[in-house]
Formats: sequence, structure tokens, C-alpha cells
Amino acid sequence: MRGLLVLSVLLVAVFAKEDFAGHQVLRISAVNEAQVQKVRELEELEHLQLDFWRGPAQPASPIDVRVPFPSLQSVKVFLESHGIQYFAMIEDVQSLLDNEQEELLAFQGRALSTDSFNYATYHTLEEIYNFIDLLVAENPQLVSKIQIGNSYEGRPIYVLKFSTGGSNRPSVWIDTGIHSREWVTQASGVWFAKKITQDYGQDEAFTAFLNNVDIFLEIVTNPDGFAFTHTQNRLWRKTRSRTSGSFCVGVDPNRNWDAGFGLAGASSNPCSETYHGKSANSEVEVKSIVDFVKAHGNIKAFISIHSYSQLLLYPYGYKTEPAPDQSELDQLAKSAVTALTSLYGTEYEYGSIIQTIYQASGSTVDWTYNQGIKYSFTFELRDTGRYGFLLPASQIIPTAQETWLALRVIMDCTQSHPY
Amino acid sequence: GQSPPPALYDQSPPPPALYGLGLLLAPSVGLGEAPTPPASCRSVGAQRWPPRCSAPAGLLQQAGARGLHFFNFRAGSPSALRVLAAVQEGRARINPKKGCRVDLAFTTELYNPEEGKERLGKCSAQVFFRKQKPRPAINVTCTQFIEKEKRQEKDFLLYKQMKQLKTPLDVISIPDSHGYIDPSLRPIWDLAFLGSSYVMWEKTTQILYYYMVQLRSVKQWKTQEDAIDFDYTVLLHEFPTQEIVPCDIHLVWYPGKPLKVKYHCQELQTPEEASGTGEGSAAAPTDFKNF
Repeated sequence: MRGLLVLSVLLVAVFAKEDFAGHQVLRISAVNEAQVQKVRELEELEHLQLDFWRGPAQPASPIDVRVPFPSLQSVKVFLESHGIQYFAMIEDVQSLLDNEQEELLAFQGRALSTDSFNYATYHTLEEIYNFIDLLVAENPQLVSKIQIGNSYEGRPIYVLKFSTGGSNRPSVWIDTGIHSREWVTQASGVWFAKKITQDYGQDEAFTAFLNNVDIFLEIVTNPDGFAFTHTQNRLWRKTRSRTSGSFCVGVDPNRNWDAGFGLAGASSNPCSETYHGKSANSEVEVKSIVDFVKAHGNIKAFISIHSYSQLLLYPYGYKTEPAPDQSELDQLAKSAVTALTSLYGTEYEYGSIIQTIYQASGSTVDWTYNQGIKYSFTFELRDTGRYGFLLPASQIIPTAQETWLALRVIMDCTQSHPY
Repeated sequence: GQSPPPALYDQSPPPPALYGLGLLLAPSVGLGEAPTPPASCRSVGAQRWPPRCSAPAGLLQQAGARGLHFFNFRAGSPSALRVLAAVQEGRARINPKKGCRVDLAFTTELYNPEEGKERLGKCSAQVFFRKQKPRPAINVTCTQFIEKEKRQEKDFLLYKQMKQLKTPLDVISIPDSHGYIDPSLRPIWDLAFLGSSYVMWEKTTQILYYYMVQLRSVKQWKTQEDAIDFDYTVLLHEFPTQEIVPCDIHLVWYPGKPLKVKYHCQELQTPEEASGTGEGSAAAPTDFKNF
């Protein structure tokens, strides 16, 4: 309420080009009708130029009035001499307006470059899409934006391609934000994107890598869900698709893939957080990736990023039978986790999905693995439950930094072990 | 207060923490299925019960976490809440008919760590998960972490801070969407976590476990004894179902006195299960059935 009032003052200020330096807003407590009457007398005195935000009414209601600097002394003396209580609710209207102005600009504010973008805070969908465009504009030789489809509610789904050329090179895929409430993942995705452009040409090993392998990065894999976490429900997980015959909305995009679809480890109840959907790939957000992966045909590592629990997982989730490459995947996971932990001491566990976390059917990396993408991994980033999904923004960059080290290990292994 | 217990485990350097083993009983999401014990358990001493075997890392961690929920509730001290640091060793005994008993030793750290001071406490616990039933029976002992006087002092400080907060509290969510908790509201969060610990312990089963996500709408009431009397709604994150479970909790707390908790959780999914309503007092002796 106060914000609206201040905003209106701002607008007035903009149009009237007034200066409110030194103006105070006083809150007056008139305890009886006589006192209310006295304040009404004040209202009559036009030369004081009082601006009542909340006018005198009954004794119980507070009276709020903006008092220009020149009138402050007289108003206060008047109130005091009549024993009318008041206090300065806003001590300097102008400085408050200046702050609000700043906040407003920052709010609408678009970063003008990826260098002035704030990586240590959470962003909206619009801000992230803006970031993507900036990154592409700043690095046209390296980065391009691909639209792989549209979400259920019609939002474009973008994938960033980092490539130094060639034709359909072996590639690494990374996705973040498939579960929309896992905010540290989209935030890390943004950081990864910037990191790639920074390190290419600066870091020898990474430059060599990118000269041979492409990277695909989908930062907001579930844009409808993500928008919903900003506007309605911070803890929304699923897509926002409507299911006929049910009031409940959304499908768990990590139960919707065609690997053990519908088996134990997912729910057939549309109201459940792990609802698998009516059929495999029913979700356009999932289908878009499936189509892309199949069309590309040369993806060699697929990494899907979630939070929280601090785990590095490989297939399978839908069955206990070990993946044929279990031994190699386990070794690689161990190396990746070692690298991750080396930075800040963050402890991770690793193993197959079913053994390490729980049985889950229709999950992303089970499908990609069955497609022949051997290096298929799922991350669960920080933390282990203290903050969970609501991870403080101050942990975004450390999380992204340590995760990047693990990703680099997987990338390097992918490059040095062609198959 | 907690006096140092007789050492239940060897004081020699603990074996390396069981991280990275990556083995876990494979719980299936559907109710009514017994979790499959790891292969080593099946092959060892099938005729002798209970079979002894090393427990998978994840199960030990979960047992430790639940042990601490119970410990924190009993201690009733919002300024001395503990969280699991690392499991040092442990064993699980699985009886397919009765459930699972976990014995473990673990280290703890303060939920609100003090600047620069990284202290580790030590605990040992036995956690009995009764098959398919919530409210595991728990015996837990921890070494004293903070001197009793200091703890009482901190509790009183917290109590005073809470008394000074203006009610009705103008706050909708703690933490906010960005994970931020205003320092002035931290005492509320700590006290809510204390109350929620009771709820999370009561609801937990061998398969289901919980984390506290967010605090919504806090109402503070006056009591004659000047205790803190809180009504609040908390969102719990349930594993492995991934559901967010809202619970209305009413707690009464006065420093040094046992915590009293009443709650009602909205059961979204589960069919027959426990009623989702409960109350408890840390003063009342809890009735354990021995395994």
C-alpha cells in the first residue's frame, strides 16, 4: 500500500518535476474527536501545502500527511501544543523516492551486457532469455541460439549451441531446470554459458576441447513451470500441461521419457508430483529434446541437472539390473565427484539412480543411455536439505563453480574416449 | 542437559566415512513392498536372525537425520539445534517381517554455526524402523556440544527476541523465494524448525523422509505463563514422492521447559496411512516397543 502511494508520488514528481528533499511524512494519532478536529483545521491552511495520504477520519485511525520542509516546524509545533501524538514515518521523502527509483529501474532493468549481468542472484524467465540473446550477440562466432520447440503454454524453448565449426561434431548436452523449482540449476546454467565463452581462448585445455567437441546447453528446460514458480508457486516441479479428466495440472518431465515408462518409480495419479503422463513423450518439453537428440545423432555425453541432494547418478533408475557400462560410469563419477569436492569440500555421493536415491522410471538419462549415449549422468546439486530448493542466492556461484569442475571431467573423458 | 555418555563405540580413529559406497536398499515408491536388502545381507547367515551386515551409506544418513529430529525435539533448545555432519560407522539389521534396525555413530554440527567456529559433536543412535509404520523408535545420545549455561543463555536471548517481534507478523514466507531469511526473523525459523522436527520424526517411515522447506503464516498468541505460543504452517518436502506436504503446527515453548507440539498435516496422496494428526510433549515419556 505504502509502495503504491510512494509510486504515485514518484509519478507526480516526474510530471511536476518537484523536489521532495527534506519532506517528511508524519503519522498522527488523534485520540479523540477534538484532536481529529484540530488536524482538520490544519488541512484548511493552504499555505502549508500539506498532502494528506490518509486523511483525518475517526479517532482510532492513523492520519498520514506529507509535510513540505518549510512547513515542518510549524506543523510539529501545532501538534505538540495540542498534545497530539505523531512520529515521522518517512524522514526524507526524496531519498526514499531515489531508492525506489533505483529499485524500479533495476527491476525492469535489463543487464546491458553479460559482464554486467548479476550471476549471484536468481532471475526471471525474461531475464534469462535476455541474457541468452546478449551472449549470442557478444559471441557470434561461438554461440548460437536454437529453438527446439514451444512449451505447452507456447513459450519458446531455447538451446544454446557452442561450436567452433565443423559439421555435426561429437557433442555434449547439458540441461538445467527440467524441474522448475530447482532454481540453483537454471542459475548454474546461466553461469556455465558465460564460463564457456570466457574460457574459450583463455584456457588451453578447454579451448582444445571446444575445437573438437560441441556443447549444447538448455538452461530453462521447463519454461512454463519456471514462470509459474515466479508468479504463483515457488515450489512447482512439473510441466503445466492440462490432463483431461483431472483438475490437477502438470506431468513430471523426469518420468515422461520412454525408458521403463509407467513402471514402478512413477505415479499414474495426475495430482502426484511424479505423475508420468498419459504416455511417453506426451510432454512437448520432453519430445522436443527427444527429436533433437535423434536428429543430431552424434551426442556422446548427456547431463541432466537437478537439485537437491548432492549426488552424481548414472542409469538405471527403473531397474536394478546394472547398466552394461556400470563399471566405467562408476569410475568416471568418482573422478568427477573428486574434482567437484576439491573446490569447496562439498561432499557428493555417486552411483546408479536406483541404488543411490530411489527407483524412478521414465527418467531422462535412462532413455538417453538406452539410445546409446554412454556417458549419461544426472546431477543433484546443493544442498542436502538445510535449504533445499530455497538455496540462498549467495551459493549460486560456488555451486556452479564446483559443478563445472565435475562437468569438465566428464567432458574430457568423452573427448578422450571416443566411441 | 547432556552429560557425556559412556563411549558406545571405540574411541580409536573412526573408519573412513561411508561416502561414495553408493549402495542403498532399493526402496520402491509403492507402499506394501518390502525393500530388498543388499546382496551381502541375503547371503550371510540366512538361518540366523537377525543377519548382520554393513548398511548402505544412504540408509545410515537417513537414520542419523531422523535420530537428530528426535534429539532436537527432546532437547527443546532452538538455539542448539544440530544437523548431521558425517556418518562414521553403522550397521543395519533387516527383518523382512518386522522392519529394520540401524545402529550408528555420527558427527553433528550446529544448525546455526557460529562465525569461524566449526565444532563437531558426536552422537550414537539406534533407530528402529517398524515395517510400513511411521514414528521410528529412537535411542540417541550425544556428547555435550555447548555448555548448559551458554545454551540456556542463548535460548533466553532467542525468547526475548521473539517476544519483541510485532504481531501480527507481516511475513508470508520464510525463507523467501531466494532463500533469504531476515536476521530478525531467524529466531522464528529456528523455533519452527524445532517444532517441525517433532512432526518430521513422527511421520517418517523406513521409506518416507522429510525436509522442512518453508514457513508460511506465523501467528503468535499470548499465554498466561508468558510462553511463546505459535501457530504456523510449514511446508515439508517428502522423499521419495517429491510431494510438498503442508502441516499446521501449534507449539508452546518456554526456555528450559519441554516443548509441546500439536499438528495436522494435509495428506495429499497416501491412502490408509497414519492419520496425519498428532501431538506430543517432550516431557511425556515416549513408549517404545523394543525391536
